[in-house]
Amino acid sequence: MGKSVVFNRLTGIGAISSNYPGTTVEILKGEMLISGRKATIMDLPGLYSLTSGAEDQMVASRMLLESTPDVVVVVADATRLEPSIVLISQLIELDFPVLVALNMMDVARKRGEVNVPALSKTLGVPIVPTVAVTGEGIDSLLKAIETYRKEPSRFKVRYDSHIEAYLEVLARSMKDTELRYPPRGAFIKLLEGDGNFTQGIPQELRQKVQRLRNEFKEEHDEDMEVHVNRDRYGEAGRIITQVVTPIPQERTLGQKLSDLTLRPSTGIPILLLVLAGVLASIIFIGGFLEGLLMDLYASFVGDLFVDMGASIGGTLGPALMSGLDLSIQAMLALVIPYILLFYLILALLEDSGYLPRVVVLLDSLMHKVGLHGQALIPMLVGMGCNVPAILATRVIESRREKLIIATIIVMAVPCSAQMAIIVGTVGNFGGPLYVAAILAILVSLVVLLALLLHKAIKFEPGSLMIEIPDLMIPRPTNVWGKTSMRVKEFFLIAFPILLVGSLFLETLSAYGVLEAIVEPMAFFTEGFLGLPAVVIIALIFGILRKEMSYQLLIVLFGTADLASVMTVDQFFVFALVMATFMPCMSTLAAMIKEYGVKDSLKVTFASIALAFTLGGLANFLLTHVI
Amino acid sequence: MVSENVEEYLECIWELTQDGTPARTTDIAKRMKFSPASVTEMLQKLDAAGYIVYEKYKGATLTEEGMRIGSTIKRRHRLLERFLVDVLGIDKEKSHDEACRLEHMLSEESERRISEIMNHPTTCPDGDPIPRMEEICKVEPDKRSVVLSDLEEGCEGTISHLRCDDSQKIRRIISMGFVPNRHLAIEERLPMNGPVLVKVGDSRVALAKDYADLVYVHVRPGCGKRRCRRGR
Repeated sequence: MGKSVVFNRLTGIGAISSNYPGTTVEILKGEMLISGRKATIMDLPGLYSLTSGAEDQMVASRMLLESTPDVVVVVADATRLEPSIVLISQLIELDFPVLVALNMMDVARKRGEVNVPALSKTLGVPIVPTVAVTGEGIDSLLKAIETYRKEPSRFKVRYDSHIEAYLEVLARSMKDTELRYPPRGAFIKLLEGDGNFTQGIPQELRQKVQRLRNEFKEEHDEDMEVHVNRDRYGEAGRIITQVVTPIPQERTLGQKLSDLTLRPSTGIPILLLVLAGVLASIIFIGGFLEGLLMDLYASFVGDLFVDMGASIGGTLGPALMSGLDLSIQAMLALVIPYILLFYLILALLEDSGYLPRVVVLLDSLMHKVGLHGQALIPMLVGMGCNVPAILATRVIESRREKLIIATIIVMAVPCSAQMAIIVGTVGNFGGPLYVAAILAILVSLVVLLALLLHKAIKFEPGSLMIEIPDLMIPRPTNVWGKTSMRVKEFFLIAFPILLVGSLFLETLSAYGVLEAIVEPMAFFTEGFLGLPAVVIIALIFGILRKEMSYQLLIVLFGTADLASVMTVDQFFVFALVMATFMPCMSTLAAMIKEYGVKDSLKVTFASIALAFTLGGLANFLLTHVI
Repeated sequence: MVSENVEEYLECIWELTQDGTPARTTDIAKRMKFSPASVTEMLQKLDAAGYIVYEKYKGATLTEEGMRIGSTIKRRHRLLERFLVDVLGIDKEKSHDEACRLEHMLSEESERRISEIMNHPTTCPDGDPIPRMEEICKVEPDKRSVVLSDLEEGCEGTISHLRCDDSQKIRRIISMGFVPNRHLAIEERLPMNGPVLVKVGDSRVALAKDYADLVYVHVRPGCGKRRCRRGR
């Protein structure tokens, strides 16, 4: 935690950072000038150890392996030094040029006095204290990177005599050969059972190491890596007692609150409250904002574009101007009130460190449907946008479970755009009860899909292991930065697409071609789904971007007052179809990258079928039964 | 002091009643290489002494006391077999006879130490389970390591060792900071087989049961354990 903040501070690039591990699952590259030279900076996923099972952490090890960095900046959490020292010791063993940014110093200072010079001397690497979120120490860090000169560190973890004896024998046999990494470090890696960082070690030695590992396990009934890491943590613990003087702590209000969020008897009610709060704010604040913005638009812009269109004249003039007019209204009616608001709330939740608590509280419930708690993180991310959610499935070990979760995210977890459609249409015109109904359908869909897929694709759900961060008060700058970055694409990418789409549709409509296109489909749109024939266009454009389907309703009907053209029941069907509809283009691309074309297409077709079945069913029930 | 002969009988009956049905006289006779008549006579004596309940034509079932002795002897037998084969390298046939003799003389302490040296093996060389006993739970808590998933809320101690054959899992748990000698405290156990919330070092980690099953802890004296593992 904190790496991405440091990265953003250094490069000015917006990498998303949150208060829980696993936010960064991909490597981000940024460039900056250091003393007039261009430098490339890479933001790696967090890792506790160079040898780890999880895919996101392996990404980081691989990057270290493949590149020859000039400096490796370890962003260490000053409040939790042990794991960082363990990581640093491994990097030193492998002779990486290490520079430590001792982050979160503000919190650490309250808990104890850290003797930074002594720590730096012990480890033999430069250390810069920082508070990345406020920017404290970043200038010194920059300077330290600029003037970095690698000096060999004499720091060494002493392993137990058994392992040291192995190391000595092995190192002796490699005396004459040049290795890319120091023999001691490379052999420790091999002894740990990790082939990374060991180029150049001949095959027969590798086999010998394997035999030693087996021998060790026979003798101690424990893997060598357990002992290696025991010694690393032991050393780290010793160093900490020397350089940190703890200040006795009172239990703070925050900690007490933090306990309450984790204890089921209080945690579950809090969770329900938070959920209800989130929904209520989106429905009521979002609705209020939409009304406000539309009123403002009406009073300041009014019929400006319509008049302009009229004065341009011809068939095209009014058509294009009304396309522009309606596109702007569509942005105001949807993106700002609902999507921006939603991302703001999501950012608040992320930065407070609350999300991992949800994972813990719901783990046993998730097991009931054949998934495990960790699967919630991608799902929660998916409530923002499905693209990062697909990437976030990487934190899950088994490919099968990953694919199941991706499928559930695509089909049943509403992204911010889908949520905006649900709240903006049926919520706005029909009331919170309709929103609740759709969400209930989606939740049961999640459960059903999980159970069905679990039956169809046999697998053991993985087990939960997640670090729970302290609860923190979110920093407005980070919350706002993150939100504006996520919403930016709605203006930069989505608005142009919307504009082009609306101009095109308005033109078609002006020449009377639109009816001719939608007419052949009417049996389906009107007959099966019970929606106005023209809505099929909105549904099709929803493939490009989800929110476009809603925005295009405004364009297609030529008014932002949608209540005058569709009934609440029709909105319900529309919202339900859109909530379960196929993945948007960006999500599909992410899926193909992650899971291949075949599985992605299967999911896509299945979701189309699901969406229309649900829509048709809802229409049937609403018109014939209720 | 129970005689060797009685111990042999109880051990045999313990084994024959493992399927949940009474041990029949004929089976005992076959196993012990005695005549059915002398077995019947012995069973009546054991019944009178309160070790078993003997019913004619049905057979013998162990009382609590008989169960305790029978399973203890069986455990010692299988543990000794394991020890003789694995540590001393004696062959399996011989180890059985030798274990048969030694099982009656082994002290409780030696038994515990042997079990500890061999990291509490769970099966004998033939693959039969070594029964675990209430005795194991009675050992002073500071000398015992308990699996993390069995610890109660509020317990603390240091990690003694990790046990698992899946190196992928071992790595993941190591990378979260679960390594021997680190301090650990149980903060919360989520109901319905939910995860355990553990403070390890300065970090707080939620662990599912199958990860918690891998971590063994030297608990601080006075710490409660969730449940005693009964002999199978």
